[in-house]
Parts: sequence; structure tokens; C-alpha cells
Amino acid sequence: MNSIEIKKLSLNFDEVVVLKDLDLTIEKGEFLVLLGASGCGKSTLLNCIAGLLDVTDGQIFINGKNVTWHEPAQRGIGMVFQSYALYPQMSVKGNLSFGLKNAGLPKEEIEKRVKHASEMLQIESLLERKPAALSGGQRQRVAIGRALVRDVEVFLFDEPLSNLDAKLRTELRVEIKRLHQKLDNTMIYVTHDQIEAMTLADRIAVMRDGLILQLDDPKTIYNAPANKYVAGFIGSPGMKFLKGTILQNDKPIFKLEGGWSESPDLSNYKFQESIKTETQVWLGIRPESVVVGGEAKNMPVNFSLEVEVVEPMGADTLVWSQIGGQEFRFIIDGNISVNVGDRVTVGFDPAHVSIFDFDNEERL
Amino acid sequence: MPKQALPERFFIGSILLAFVMLVLATVGIKSQILENAQFLILLPSLLLVIWMGVKTGRLEIFTNRLRKYATGWLIAALTSAMVWSFAQKGTQLALPILKDLRKVWNTFEPFALFATAVFILFCLVLLVIGTRDSDLERPGYIESSLVNNLSSKIAAVPMAFTAFGIFIMATLWTVYHSFTNSRLLPKSELIGFGQYERLWSSDRWYVSIENLAIFGVGSLVFSLTIGFMLAALLDQKTRFENTFRTIFLYPFALSFIITGLIWQWILNPDHGVQKVVRSLGFDNFVFNPLYNADIVIYGVLIAALWQGTGFIMCLMLAGLRGIDQEIWMAARVDGIPMWKTYLRIVIPMMRPVFITTLVIISAGIIKVYDLIVAQTSGGPGLASEVPAKYVFDYMFGHQNLAQGFAGSTMMLVSVLIVLIPLAYLGFGRRKHG
Repeated sequence: MNSIEIKKLSLNFDEVVVLKDLDLTIEKGEFLVLLGASGCGKSTLLNCIAGLLDVTDGQIFINGKNVTWHEPAQRGIGMVFQSYALYPQMSVKGNLSFGLKNAGLPKEEIEKRVKHASEMLQIESLLERKPAALSGGQRQRVAIGRALVRDVEVFLFDEPLSNLDAKLRTELRVEIKRLHQKLDNTMIYVTHDQIEAMTLADRIAVMRDGLILQLDDPKTIYNAPANKYVAGFIGSPGMKFLKGTILQNDKPIFKLEGGWSESPDLSNYKFQESIKTETQVWLGIRPESVVVGGEAKNMPVNFSLEVEVVEPMGADTLVWSQIGGQEFRFIIDGNISVNVGDRVTVGFDPAHVSIFDFDNEERL
Repeated sequence: MPKQALPERFFIGSILLAFVMLVLATVGIKSQILENAQFLILLPSLLLVIWMGVKTGRLEIFTNRLRKYATGWLIAALTSAMVWSFAQKGTQLALPILKDLRKVWNTFEPFALFATAVFILFCLVLLVIGTRDSDLERPGYIESSLVNNLSSKIAAVPMAFTAFGIFIMATLWTVYHSFTNSRLLPKSELIGFGQYERLWSSDRWYVSIENLAIFGVGSLVFSLTIGFMLAALLDQKTRFENTFRTIFLYPFALSFIITGLIWQWILNPDHGVQKVVRSLGFDNFVFNPLYNADIVIYGVLIAALWQGTGFIMCLMLAGLRGIDQEIWMAARVDGIPMWKTYLRIVIPMMRPVFITTLVIISAGIIKVYDLIVAQTSGGPGLASEVPAKYVFDYMFGHQNLAQGFAGSTMMLVSVLIVLIPLAYLGFGRRKHG
């Protein structure tokens, strides 16, 4: 059964079109991440689902019920905000129970739910404190608790970890994942951090300019991005694109613009459809799919190049170089020492690259 | 650090309390219980400070740095005192050379007097309560607030002079002369509580106080509620918000004299509302609050609200805008109705704004004078008199300075009683929050 169904959703602010004819179906118990740069409409979409924004056109179904014009509280959702949005004058307990009291739930029931939620989030010892006396991570736990006590099917997270420092972020990220495994609720999670998206999601929807560019599980998004934008957005350090043409004789061959002694044979790359000769393309290679040294010799494509800049990052080292005048970078093991000016042999498997059309930047 | 600062604060608090008691006693409110209470607080706090000093092995008052600063302040005080004494006739007679410079010295006299008082005060405060945090060799609460960043404190000295001169000296002078029999000119022979007896046996004063109470409660309650409601309404993404804001704020740009005059006309039975309604055909319609001694103060209240509410609205609107939109979203997701969100979440969050507003309104209430003069001149009869008008009339109308001073001293005392705890509530708790 589908937990959330969005049909032909549109939203305009006066003249500005924010969301246009958006369709999205989320299954029960699924963890969906809306990922995109700021201004892409991901938070707007979440607010529409929550009912905090009135849609211009289209319908929203939650648990099979049309809730397009329902108040947020009647939709069966709980929401967690970026700035925590705790009620500062109430204790943690007050924050958790205020909505329930207001809904007229019996005292014992409220007690039970607050206890359950605070145990689950390990905030029992903080119940009597005011939000001002909590750290950022604790505040966000309380905010999650406030969604939890509502005992709802769907949780919405609006960049919940953005205000936390890096260490807390990773801790709380794992906790959210655990929470999801325990509760098995539907969760929609908005973020601009691709690592959060990759680690948490069952499916990721990469958004740009109010459109969903690709909706797939993290693995597919990473390995087979649907277009150049998604490819560049996912992965850190990002994918590098080489400009060139594909010559299709008996087998497809990549010709780099600007001239390169190599002309890689792409015959084990899975093209979506047969490709015409002399198609202008972007060849995208992830820095981590490039290998060096002895291993490189075994790769279908291998060549040597000169090191220009070395960026050690501890576990790995990022190496910048050039092929035929175009920037190229790759990751090598942090223990291998390379110096500027060295010549190294590198190689990659064409099965692991991504090729995009030069003009519409769609995957080929 | 708080180890030392706490008894210091306690001590200062008890000194302030003692001062309030003194003021109360001066104006005739005496009570054995109060005095005992004051003694019971002051003595242990003094002992506590001394004990802290003794326990740490040395009285921190005599540390070097402290002595240096105290000496500095003392020298400054002495210099100022010398300047002052040169301005005195006796000194000038004894040293004939100074005679030619008499004018210059005389110009400096008031400044020098101020300076002496301020410097001695600084010095006393330093010596008496400038203890230090002995374990950490860190300046104590008072010392650090007086001595740290000395240059900025020196820069503040002119301001301190003005403040001291106006708020302390002038006040003390007024309080002193309220115990005299001054008529047109101030006299300095004390006559005791005669002026206060006269004040409290005067009907006019009672009417004034009653009016002030009605006016005060009315304008406090209504300008807060109406101001907040208007702000809440304007905060609903209203179209033409700027226009409305301007319209509501516009009366605030007028002086009370103009407001009073406008409302005198509006409420005048021969020209204003009554006339308009009567000419619509309701011949027996009566609405003339300014001519009815029982309700005249409400007529004034309407004018004051008309003028002041817009400003309160602007303050409240600023407060509302300062509240994170996500709080509203969270409340909506929680299913909390809008009025309850305002009442239980937003208003408590706007506490600082409310306190600022409260102080502004209260100050406006106490000093209301020009509105009354323009609108009713205190009439009909004495029905719309207020204390400020009482004071002003006695000082400049009836040539009875001392009676006016007695009235103003009473006003000061009531303001202190109301505002000191309020200010403490509002601004004192901030630091801990």
C-alpha cells in the first residue's frame, strides 16, 4: 500500500513557479530523501506534504486519504524542523505533551507516549529542563520526540541536522536510521547533504528547479546517474567530466577534445540505446573508480599522466592532473606517496564510467 | 568566581534596600517592622562580606591595585573640592590674587561640586565593596565593573555628571525642599511634614491620584491588548500592511497638545460626535464625556489610547516578527489553534518586548500632563486633575514650591516602588537565561 501519493502537484508564489506537475509515490515504511541544492523546491515540497503551504494545483494522498486541503494536524504526520522549533518557555516534557494535551488525550495515554518516546531517544533525564539548557543535539532529539509522540504514520524531516556540528551530525544520522528500522514508519527527509542522503535513504529523489531529476535507490543514483547534474551532485569529491566525441565504427571509441594519445574502447559500457557515430558527449569518471600502479595495467583502459597537485586527506589522497588540456582527478590510497611532477600509470574500467549527451546532458 | 560576587550582590542589595527604607522614612512612612527587617538584612550581609575577607586571610580591600585606584579617585575628588573651595567668597578674600579670577572660579563651581561628589562616591564604592575574588586574584564583581576598561568609564564621566546632577542632586534638592515652607522662592528652613499633611488632606490630590489610577490601569490594559491585537492582525500577511502601519502610527507623530485639542473638539457636544448623531435624527442622543465629572477621565483615556496604541502596535509587531516561522509551523503540525499558540507560546516568547512596552507605557502614564491641559484643563471643576498637573500648578501657579515638591516626591516614590521591581524582573534575569 502506498503511504503517500502526490499527483500533478503545482505550486506558484504569485508569478514564480516553484513546483510544476510533480508526481511522487512513496511506499509504506520507505525512507525517502529529497536531495538538492538550496532553492530547488525540496523544502517547499515537504511543506506542501505537511500542509503548511497551500498547493496551487494537484492532489496529495496520505494513507489513501485525500488530504490536499486538510490542516497539518489532521494529516497524520509529524515534522522535525531545522531550527528545532521547540517552545522555549516549556520544559522538554511540556514540549512533548503540549500537542497531545491540546488534542484532549487522556493523561495516562500522554504519560505513556512521552515515556516511550523519551526512552527511545534517551532523553528521560532531560524531561524537566527548558530547551535553552540543552545542547543542539539534545534539542533535535526533543524535536524528534515531539514528532514521535504524535504516533503517526509519516515523519517529515526538514534538514534536521543542518544546525549541528559535523560530529553530532554523524551521530544523530545513525540514530535516525536506527529509529526508522525500529519504527518502520514512512519518512521523508529533506537535505542538501549528499552523504546524509546516501546513508539514510531507501530511495533518493534528486531535485532541481522544482523537478525531480532522478528517483532511485542510492546505489543506482551513484552508479548510474540519470544526467550530468545528478552525477556531479552525488559523490565527494565530485565526478570529473571530459569533453569529447564517440566514434562508432565496429566498436564505440571515445575521442577526447583537444587531443589525447589514447582512444579508450567503450565496448563494455552499457549504452541505454544504440549510439550514432560522432556524438558529442561528456565522459564522467568518478575519482574513486580510477586505479593506479600495477592494478591499472589490468584495466581495459590505462595510460600515464603527470601529477600537478596532491591533496592528502588522510585515508585517501586526491591527485589533480590533466589529460589533453582537460582537468582530471582521481583518488589513490593515502599510503602511496606521490609527488608533484611524478608520472603515474592510471586505469579505469569503461563499465564504471557515465556518459552523457553533450547538449541535453542526459545519460546515454 | 560567584563565590565572592554573591555576598557582594547581597550586600549591595541590602544597601539599596536600606536606601529605599530611608526614603520611605523621610516621606513619613515609618514602620518598626520594616526597620527591623532592614537591619536584619543589612547586618548579616555586612558581616558576611567581612567574614569572607577574614576567612581568606586578608581583607581584600587593601590589595595594591585597589588602593591605587581608590587613591586616584580620592585625588580627583580633592582636586575638584579645591576648585570648589576657591570659588567660595572666604577663600577669595583670604587669597587676594584669586579675586581677579573670581568669574572663572564661579563658573567652575557647580562642576567642581558635582565632580567631588561623583569621585567620592566612586572611591567609597571601591573601598567599601570593591572586594576581590581572593582565590583567583580576579577582581570582584563591583571592582571589575568600576575599574576594568577605565578609559570608557572616564569617557562616561560627563554623562555621569549629568545623570548625577539631574537624577540625584536635583531629586535630593526637591525632596529636601518639600520639607520647607518655600513659597515663590526656595527657602531652606525645615518645617517637618507640614507640606505632606497638607497634601494628603487635600481633595484635589486625592482626585488626582484616583484619576491617575483609572487612567493608568485603563491605558495599560487597553493599549497592551489593543496594540497586541492590531499587531497580531497585521502579522497575518496583510495586504497594504505598510499603509495600515503608517495610519496606526500616525497619531503618535502628533503632540499631546494637538491630540488633546482634536479630542476636545470630537467630544464637544456642540460640534463633535453628539452633534453628528443628533443631526442624523437621534435627537435625544447624549455623548459628552468631557462635561460629565464622573466619566471625564475616560474621555481623556480615549484620546491617550488613540495616540499611543499605534506605537505599542509597532513594538509588538517587531516582537512578533522576531519569532521564528518554524515555531508557527511546529504549532500547526501539533494541531494547536492559533489563539492558543499566541497565548501559550508566542506571548511568553515576547517577554522582553512586553517589559519594554510596559516601561514605556508606565512612564507615559505618570507624566501625563499636557493632554489634560489641552483637553479639559482639569475640569469640569477638579474632576480630571492628575498629580503632574497638581505639582505644576502649585509650583508655578500658586507660588507654593514646597507643596509642589511634596507632590512630586510622592510621585517619585510611587514610581520607584513600581519600576524598581519591574526593572529587576525584566533585565535582571537576562544574565542567567
